[in-house]
Amino acid sequence: MDLIPQLIVDALLLGGIYTLMVIGLALSFGVTRVINFAHGEAVMLGAYGAFTVFVAFGVDPLIAMPVLMVAGCVLGMVLFKVAIAPVLKAPHVNQILLTFGIGLVLQNLALVIWSPDGRSVVPSYAYSSFEFGDVVVSGGRLIGFGIAAVLVLALFFWLKRTEFGRATRALAEQHDAAVLMGINVNQMYALAFGLSVALGVATGVILSFLGAITPFMGFHILVKGFAIIVLGGLGSIVGAVLGAFLLAFAETAVSYYVPNGTGWAEAVAFLTLFLVLVLRPRGIIGQAVAD
Amino acid sequence: MHRLSSGGILPILALATTLAATPALAQESIKIGVPMELSGRFVAYGASGKRGVEFATEVYGGKVAGKKIELLVRDIQSESQATISVFNELVSKEKVNYIIGPIGSPTVAAAIPAWRQGKPIWLVPGSSSTKLEEEVGGDPEFFHTFPYAYNYHESIAAALKNQLPAGQKVAMIYTDDNYGRTHQPYAKKYLTDAGFEVVLEEIVRTNAADMNPLLTKIARVKPDVLLGLVQTTDAVTLAKQIYTRKLPVPYLIGTAATQLDEWQKAVGTAQEGWVGVTTYLPGLNRPGNQEFPKLFPPSSEWEAMFVKKYGQEPDFEDAGCYVSAMLLFLAIERAGGDDKEKVAAELRKMDIPNTLLGRAKFVSTPSGTKQQAFTDMVVFQRENGKNVMLFPPGPETKKIKAVTY
Repeated sequence: MDLIPQLIVDALLLGGIYTLMVIGLALSFGVTRVINFAHGEAVMLGAYGAFTVFVAFGVDPLIAMPVLMVAGCVLGMVLFKVAIAPVLKAPHVNQILLTFGIGLVLQNLALVIWSPDGRSVVPSYAYSSFEFGDVVVSGGRLIGFGIAAVLVLALFFWLKRTEFGRATRALAEQHDAAVLMGINVNQMYALAFGLSVALGVATGVILSFLGAITPFMGFHILVKGFAIIVLGGLGSIVGAVLGAFLLAFAETAVSYYVPNGTGWAEAVAFLTLFLVLVLRPRGIIGQAVAD
Repeated sequence: MHRLSSGGILPILALATTLAATPALAQESIKIGVPMELSGRFVAYGASGKRGVEFATEVYGGKVAGKKIELLVRDIQSESQATISVFNELVSKEKVNYIIGPIGSPTVAAAIPAWRQGKPIWLVPGSSSTKLEEEVGGDPEFFHTFPYAYNYHESIAAALKNQLPAGQKVAMIYTDDNYGRTHQPYAKKYLTDAGFEVVLEEIVRTNAADMNPLLTKIARVKPDVLLGLVQTTDAVTLAKQIYTRKLPVPYLIGTAATQLDEWQKAVGTAQEGWVGVTTYLPGLNRPGNQEFPKLFPPSSEWEAMFVKKYGQEPDFEDAGCYVSAMLLFLAIERAGGDDKEKVAAELRKMDIPNTLLGRAKFVSTPSGTKQQAFTDMVVFQRENGKNVMLFPPGPETKKIKAVTY
């Protein structure tokens, strides 16, 4: 029983990181219906961006984050216009192959630029922690959780309260009606895709001081991310947030209470994914996907 | 009557000269396959391996037994399929008689079927996996120049026994991959034999983002020693999360990453107090070989030469592949040329004291490798950003220090 407070803290902090990892994926799929297999590489580039500004200019990753997010958003919009837009009406498999290919190109680019050596950013707060009785809270993870909360709330605010956000929701919910209302589809698609990349970059910035940065880190993030958005419901941002916390609690509980449980974390993710696909294919709050 | 103009005859002469010269040139060189992980996840090892072999070739003078040394360096991309393709090319197409590399346990394992097609002399300066020993240890063409997993844990257990009081408690973390699973039983055996009590063994998924639940479990059993059988990126995550949490375990040991510059840079201050085990460390001050002073100078001189050429300190695979290549060159020299059987016999007879890795002598292991060299390892501790020797006992050996936060 005395493990429960620590379990709750660990699961909440992990859930925050998972949320940040997947809301970008959920946004881009919800609006454009393109499953972005290069999203993990956006995270990877964000992490390397933070590493580079920290090492080269001594700039704290959290200070650099807004600039890196803007750069990621612009890069995402350009990528959408150049590579994704031409295949919007193509079969899903073509889109998957395209984004997968983009991911491979970005991985190799990172290999050339930063080498395959594992890197990490170590600002002072990365190694801070607080103790409340028997409960230990990592400062870096708490910061990650806080940033995830702020960004998720900002995204919801943008979607609900701004003209662009409402247009984005209209496109996601009723594409044809939105077009008839005069919404510039390509512009909104590019913006949603750019924002999803920016959120991936923010995730990378947080991960840069929590763990190791490598050119291949994106793949593992992507796999976990897909499990979460399927669990929450493809295309639903609220579902993605719920899925992130559900999975974080399930994994952490297994880690604590099952012998060798940390080794089972990924199995928990995929068992959950399997059960959701069999019992409730739309996920917790999912939309039906036609094809 | 047709007369050949100079414009017509010159290309013909050039072609004839080239055709005549090609076989002669081929005979003038000795081909050595160097399949290494030059990209992908093991590139840090493969890049060092390539550097070590090339440096050895340069120091040796570029020729052996009067013939040019031709290194066929190939990138196996740290992938099994690419490894198989490269070995097929080296063994079946290039028909090399000698191969040095690769380094990583999975890539070495992937190479075995293709190597068996021609069985060139194979020096393996990497792979601690005992599966390798089971597969090819008995082959007369296989020469292993890197310690096996059990050598690691024999050294760690001996070092801890030498440094700590008996009966101390050990917790172990190991990854669910080939590395962790291979090392875990040996770690347990040697530590238990040395009088330590293994109180916790926990598996962790590779690339796990959160090791905190594991660390909570470890803190509850209050071990004196934590042994991490995890590789580079997992070792970074583990060290960072231990330091953040200020885990109350006095002695931290990492088997795969502590000696790597990459790990040290990634974890920063969290490296302080970690204990590592390796075959070679800069600053060991090993003596040189008197018979071959140019090839095996004192380690400090060799390190200075290396730094001058590459602008960085050598790591354990730079030294391992340098020595492995030198042994092959010396064996070819002693065999009088490119005769595979004679070269293998010379390698088996070889007994050279004071190389960078210690005495070079191939012996059989109790577990089945017929030709094994270099099983001695050093155990060290990171102290103020430097390596401090803990084992084997000697004038430079210091007392182990508990980790403080």
